[in-house]
Amino acid sequence: MLSYILRRLLLMIPVVMLISIVVFFIIQLPPGDFISTYAAKMATGGEIMDDAAMQVMREAYGLDQAWYMQYLKWIWGIVTEGNFGYSLAFNRPVSDIIAQYMGLTLIVSLVSMLFTYVFSIPTGIYSAVKQYSFGDYLITAIGFLGMATPNFLMAIILMYISYVYVGDPMLGIFSPEFVDQAWSYAKFIDFLKHMIIPVIVIGTASTCDLIRVMRGQMLEEMEKPYMLTARAKGLSEAKIIMKYPVRAAMNPIVSTLGWSLTSIFTGATITAIVLNLPTQGPVMYNALLSQDMYLAGTWLLFMAVCIVLGTLISDILLVWLDPRIRMQRKGM
Amino acid sequence: MKNKIILMSLSLLITMSALTGCFAGNAKNTANTANTKTNTATATNTVQKSAGGFAEAPMLQELVKAGTIPAVEDRMPVKEDIMIEPTFESIGKYGGDWRNPWNGPDDKWGIEMITEEPLFRFKQDGTGVEPNVAKGFDVNADSTEYVIHLREGMKWSDGQPFTADDVIFYWEHMLIPETFGKALYDCYYSINPETGEKERAEITKVDDYAVKVVFKHPSVQFLERLAIDNKWFFAPAHYYKTILPEFIGEDKALEVAKEYGFNDTKTLGIWTGYYYWLYPQRPTLRPWVAKNDANSDRFVMERNPYFFKTDSEGQQLPYIDRIVLDKMQDPSHKLLGMLAGNIEVGQFDFKDFTVLKENEKKGNYRVLTWKSPAWSSTGVQLNQTTEDPKLRALFQDIRFREALSVAVDRKEVSEIITNGLGEPAQASVSEGLPGYQDGWNKQWVEYDKARAEKLLDEIGLKWDAQHKFRTFADGSDLSILIYQEKGEDDKFIELLRKYYHEAGIRTELKIVDSGTFFDLKYANKVPATIKSVSIVNVALRPDELVPLRVITPWFGHYGLYSSSGGKEGVKPEGDVAQILENWDKIKASTSKEEIAKFSDEIIKLHQKNQWIIGYTAPTPTLTVVKNNVKNVAPDLVSADEFRGIGVAHPEQFYIE
Amino acid sequence: MKTMLGDLNRWTQLFRGKKQQETHYAASHWRLMMRKLMKHKLAKVSLVVIGFMYVVALFGNFISPQGLDKYDSVYLNSRPTSIHFIDTDGKFHFTPFVYGMKSERDPETLRKMFVEDTSLKYPIKFFVKGEEYKLFGFIPSSIHLFGVEDPGRLFLFGTDGMGRDLFSRIVLGSQVSLTIPLVGVGISFVLGLFFGGISGYFGGMIDSVIQRIIEIIRSFPTLPLWMALSAAIPPRVPIVQMFLYITIIMAFIEWTGLARVVRSKFISLRNEDYVMAAKISGVSDAKIIIVHLIPGFLSYLVVTMTLAIPSMIIGETAMSFLGLGIRSPAASWGVLLQEAQQIENVALYPWKLIPLGFVIITVLAFNFLGDGLRDAADPYK
Repeated sequence: MLSYILRRLLLMIPVVMLISIVVFFIIQLPPGDFISTYAAKMATGGEIMDDAAMQVMREAYGLDQAWYMQYLKWIWGIVTEGNFGYSLAFNRPVSDIIAQYMGLTLIVSLVSMLFTYVFSIPTGIYSAVKQYSFGDYLITAIGFLGMATPNFLMAIILMYISYVYVGDPMLGIFSPEFVDQAWSYAKFIDFLKHMIIPVIVIGTASTCDLIRVMRGQMLEEMEKPYMLTARAKGLSEAKIIMKYPVRAAMNPIVSTLGWSLTSIFTGATITAIVLNLPTQGPVMYNALLSQDMYLAGTWLLFMAVCIVLGTLISDILLVWLDPRIRMQRKGM
Repeated sequence: MKNKIILMSLSLLITMSALTGCFAGNAKNTANTANTKTNTATATNTVQKSAGGFAEAPMLQELVKAGTIPAVEDRMPVKEDIMIEPTFESIGKYGGDWRNPWNGPDDKWGIEMITEEPLFRFKQDGTGVEPNVAKGFDVNADSTEYVIHLREGMKWSDGQPFTADDVIFYWEHMLIPETFGKALYDCYYSINPETGEKERAEITKVDDYAVKVVFKHPSVQFLERLAIDNKWFFAPAHYYKTILPEFIGEDKALEVAKEYGFNDTKTLGIWTGYYYWLYPQRPTLRPWVAKNDANSDRFVMERNPYFFKTDSEGQQLPYIDRIVLDKMQDPSHKLLGMLAGNIEVGQFDFKDFTVLKENEKKGNYRVLTWKSPAWSSTGVQLNQTTEDPKLRALFQDIRFREALSVAVDRKEVSEIITNGLGEPAQASVSEGLPGYQDGWNKQWVEYDKARAEKLLDEIGLKWDAQHKFRTFADGSDLSILIYQEKGEDDKFIELLRKYYHEAGIRTELKIVDSGTFFDLKYANKVPATIKSVSIVNVALRPDELVPLRVITPWFGHYGLYSSSGGKEGVKPEGDVAQILENWDKIKASTSKEEIAKFSDEIIKLHQKNQWIIGYTAPTPTLTVVKNNVKNVAPDLVSADEFRGIGVAHPEQFYIE
Repeated sequence: MKTMLGDLNRWTQLFRGKKQQETHYAASHWRLMMRKLMKHKLAKVSLVVIGFMYVVALFGNFISPQGLDKYDSVYLNSRPTSIHFIDTDGKFHFTPFVYGMKSERDPETLRKMFVEDTSLKYPIKFFVKGEEYKLFGFIPSSIHLFGVEDPGRLFLFGTDGMGRDLFSRIVLGSQVSLTIPLVGVGISFVLGLFFGGISGYFGGMIDSVIQRIIEIIRSFPTLPLWMALSAAIPPRVPIVQMFLYITIIMAFIEWTGLARVVRSKFISLRNEDYVMAAKISGVSDAKIIIVHLIPGFLSYLVVTMTLAIPSMIIGETAMSFLGLGIRSPAASWGVLLQEAQQIENVALYPWKLIPLGFVIITVLAFNFLGDGLRDAADPYK
């Protein structure tokens, strides 16, 4: 097992390298570059940049070189001195910006992810055990309501409802008066209040997925002959369910679980924009839109590492969960 | 029903009496503040006058007491040189936060306009400029020599004196491409009437509080153009001498740059020089100065203790303590924030009018409609130099432009796009602005399909086999590619295309982001776009009407021809060439009358040719103000030239 | 105890079923599935609902009273027209009717206000003459299912910001929203099943390569990809066609999730005794995969299929932001939802949220049908 993991880790290096090249290439694929976006923004402020000024800026930022030159320079900086480059839009080192948004992003994503898993796995099990009961239908209907409503629309509706009934649309993570203050009980309560809408929006969007998958898997497993055997042995129903079908049913969830690693670090982008959450997602979204090469590139590189690592974690978890796979891997 | 009427009249009565009470109270207040300070003092924060007869904000009093800053009269210019800012309604009181929406550091200009203090600023009625940071000016008879007087004893926001040296420093060190990354502004050139050559002005120091600007040839509009091109004609020399490489050496400067977060010294110069109001380290003359990193989720600007203006009672401005800018990622947040009363003053697009109005009471704000100097609220520009020669000939045909103009039912457009407020009209100068032409707004506005058909026939456009779309005379496909910047005017474009299709003109649409649009414009790849122009006075800001460089889509590469000196681009001919001739005459004019005459010529050429087709009259810009925010004039012109909200002089806004 | 009995019954059924059906295995399998499906009440209802939706989409031009570009400045943002049976005199009418509408702008807020003019009555008629259209794209006609005579107006679901009948737009929008997303789902399904299948079944080198490819595809930054595409696609391509292409491209990225799951399932199933048995008896790999492995986790497949549908229907809205999705005047449910999302519409014109109801109903129906199918897939229970 250990050698398998080691091999996979080694394999990561070329894969991530390959991904970083592809990613860097794709970022600069759309027409225009950061300077043209910048010039267009200047124009809205009444300042018109001429060709010469744009050329000067391009040279200053090294954007006049071919993309692979830019890539090599950037990756060289990372490998040799751990320098991830420099954000053109923020005028700050990329690592500073990522660090600035990381804290809140992790909080928001972990809270909503925790909610998603803690809520949906038991619900899925319940839904399967009590198949076709009223509760099952209710869960299904609510789940799909959340899923079929686009997140941004759901967010807008909830914010508007909150505005009409509470007088505050609950934008952002804190009320304006708390933003500057240090953490206190009142601020914590305010934070919780502001988390209600994001948790509902992000939660309903992803719980449905999990509930349905869990439910489907459970139903399948529960029909298997081993259940009959277990029941025949006189084990309690609850024990049987927890011991066998739940474990087996987790398989598809686990096989993509590793990938949620990426979403922990981004947070739901569109939702974050609509709810004005200061998380990583919107920042990266804008970086991609304005072709802020190094910021976007670093971010995507980081995501690539997460994906590759996530796959590995999933694979390991799968083996751990499913003895059948474990047996087979022994040979490796 | 009856009950309702009684109730309504009752409530009307109550509000009326309350209002009169209010006004009476206000009047008394203004009359009394000077004499019986104690009265107001008990009600509000203590406003004590200093020995010199000045008052300052409580938060500054604390600092004075603590010895952090000098007394108020030592912080302001000498008494005669203090600028007294007239208040719009009443003398205000200190305190409060102005929460203002913004989109983060990308939205540099929103906050810039609010806090801007130029050397000379536009008067609120737009008739000319008045001294602001400058105390005054002298000009000789032929407008070649200007002496600009500064205010004695005026200080930067860090307490260092502001003198003529700071102006000279800006001229010599900041206004060069090496530091600033920009070419010299156009206003510093005068035109040789014989050769048409541009010649650079010379600027020298007269004494500590006066600088002289000398032109080789008359430059009648220098001050106005300065107020547009280069509003901040000064920079804190003492500060830059500690950060720029030319003073402290490349290595040291690089250290400073890294400290600020910049990658190299060049960007350090560009950003602290150009977007200086975003950097807390950089002293300014503005009423509010940056307090923290503009990249944070909340950017705060706090009052400048050294601000050079007072109200008529000697209270140092600004009234409002802080401007608090919370980052908003989506336009809907600004709207929701306003509805919820979380924003003190904000400007909105006309499309939000109904929803803002419907919630006016609940949100406890008032919606002010400021005039817009736009030529129309919906319009089309056809690139006169578009690449395809057949299409170019067609666009240059005035009959084609007329056909496109009359092929659209403006009443429908007006109702659907502007809520009926932007009347059916042609793109034209609005009444009250320089260049207004009587009757122009009615040119080609009647919806007349037959006329359009006739015009297109006259041009020689044929029909295709299905009699659905027009083709060129030789039978080849005719189609106009419209480029649209993302998210703008979706509904209008839809309507417009429908009417064009009904007239047999096939259109195609491509949506691009603003950066791409910018590039396409430069490459002359935008055949048509949905945009109007918005200018106050062509003589002051010619860019949209005179092809001087590539910027406005209608003149496409005529602009490149001018800016490259005839090396590239398309040579202007006919009326476009005449526009440029008139522009050169303006530049070489020796009197304001002459300038007005040639500007009018330019406008008349636009009227004759209607290169910019408009469909509905401009709609106002909405300035939405919370009811407890006072001193905001209800009827100003919202123009970039006048600096948006800045034209209302935000330093004298106060929160009740 | 009861469950045990139920299970026993199932087992006996199973054996009996097998014996009876041995000779006409395939055909009767399907018949059994159908029979089983029909017993599933909710699935039956869902089937009817979905069928109904598709019929409506098919005859969309006939059912919708208006076409897609019937702008009307008089009826901007009109609320749904009320349908009456009893007039102001208290008289009952057998054919429902609507009153004429007077519209005026509120001088303060410029909002359009609509007042019923009870002096004008327009009975609702069927098979009325209206706008011309081509049924199925080639049969010219001008008969519409229902409507009122001019100048009366009947807006079942109100109108949008350009005065167009929302009901018509929903109906015509379903022609896009009920077809193209399914193509996308189908493609990613096939791809996911195929690559996930061979990756999990064969393992080793093939598995490793496919997994790395999946990792690379997963890390594609989609936003710049779409931006580049949006710039590259010539503007002359009809919008619905363009959307189809985009959906197909999207499907080529989306399949990876399914492939991962299929793979891990295959890995755990391939060592089951029955697979081993099949292998030893010389059954081909393809047959093992299709006949023995896939049915083993059919329920998961059905669930993912139904779950993919809503995201495909809604996903389009993000595309139109980049100028790639459906754009008005063409209609799809995503476009309608996008209009609804503006604060102004949520606050003042809530009927614009009606399309959301259709999305939800469709998604629920597909899901319940999926449930039924899943149960029916094992007809011997």
